[in-house]
Amino acid sequence: MTTELWGAVAVAAVGTLLLRLLPLVWMQRHLGRKDGQGGSASMPGWLGVLGPVMIAAMLGVSLVPPANTLNAWLATVVGVGATLFVWRRTRSLGWPVVWGVAAFGVVRLLSFVVT
Amino acid sequence: MKDQVTVIRGRPWLRGVRDAVPLLGGYIPVAVSFGLIANQAGFSSWEAIIISLVIYAGASQFLFVGMVASGAPLWLVVVMTLLINARHLVYAPNLAPWLSGSRWWPWLMHGLTDQIFALAHTRLPELSPSERMGWFTGAMLMAWFSWVGGTALGATAGQELTGRWPLLNDVMPFALPALFLVLLAPRFTSWLWTAALGCSISVALVFAINGLPNVAIPVAALIGAMAFFLVQSNTRAEV
Repeated sequence: MTTELWGAVAVAAVGTLLLRLLPLVWMQRHLGRKDGQGGSASMPGWLGVLGPVMIAAMLGVSLVPPANTLNAWLATVVGVGATLFVWRRTRSLGWPVVWGVAAFGVVRLLSFVVT
Repeated sequence: MKDQVTVIRGRPWLRGVRDAVPLLGGYIPVAVSFGLIANQAGFSSWEAIIISLVIYAGASQFLFVGMVASGAPLWLVVVMTLLINARHLVYAPNLAPWLSGSRWWPWLMHGLTDQIFALAHTRLPELSPSERMGWFTGAMLMAWFSWVGGTALGATAGQELTGRWPLLNDVMPFALPALFLVLLAPRFTSWLWTAALGCSISVALVFAINGLPNVAIPVAALIGAMAFFLVQSNTRAEV
């Protein structure tokens, strides 16, 4: 890589870090001024809503399977069903993910075997 | 006695590492792809690894190497990389109420990716204040190292790996939607949240299907938040 390209990597890296770091410093100062009201109660209302809807947006984006075929979508539906089913029974984090991936994988594998 | 203290101190770290394990299913295949693509775009293995180590932001890294390979001006490459990462602006303030004033927290934000944010947003409120930094450090290091390790694997042996196990590359990324689903499921507690989250998921899905995954997250989140406040104001008006 050229020196200019290394410079671009450095600026992109520092810029990305600042995008993650500076809002925390700002928010900690904001919360510091409102001391005595700890926790999410002292957070601006819109910010408390934005967190969960951002996660929901990430879910929406990640639901699109890498292979955009009917079988891949079927596998997604089965995987989502398996994940929710195991989550309802266990209320844990790891097992629903494991079973969801396994169910998704079985449907994809069947498609590879059949075709 | 000394051992007991060590065990207690080690717990939040280990729990963080354990909680981040489902992320590997999504991180490693994508990181392998990044290493492979960076290699094909003319970057050496070490250069690809350093980019993953210091920028550490999936989509923007693909854009970075793609734009450099196509000969785009470097200032534009940097601006586009930062624009894609601009969504990260709202992550840390959402976690701030659960973080102490320690001077280490701002530096730990290097590991605040989309997925670590989603995980931390659910887990941090459940932990005691003394456990939070250990938990976050364990989870973010696990995710970061898997990203860098996956890049190294992709840059050195990516072609062979994807050729030998094509199905693995197809199946493992499902760990990410499964994880997001588990993190969100407990939040469907009222019509208000169901409307907001349902709107956000649907809009993001439509954008992603139409090939706009990077625009999808901020736009879908904005529409989801608008749905929340709209339903809330309607409910108040009825009361």
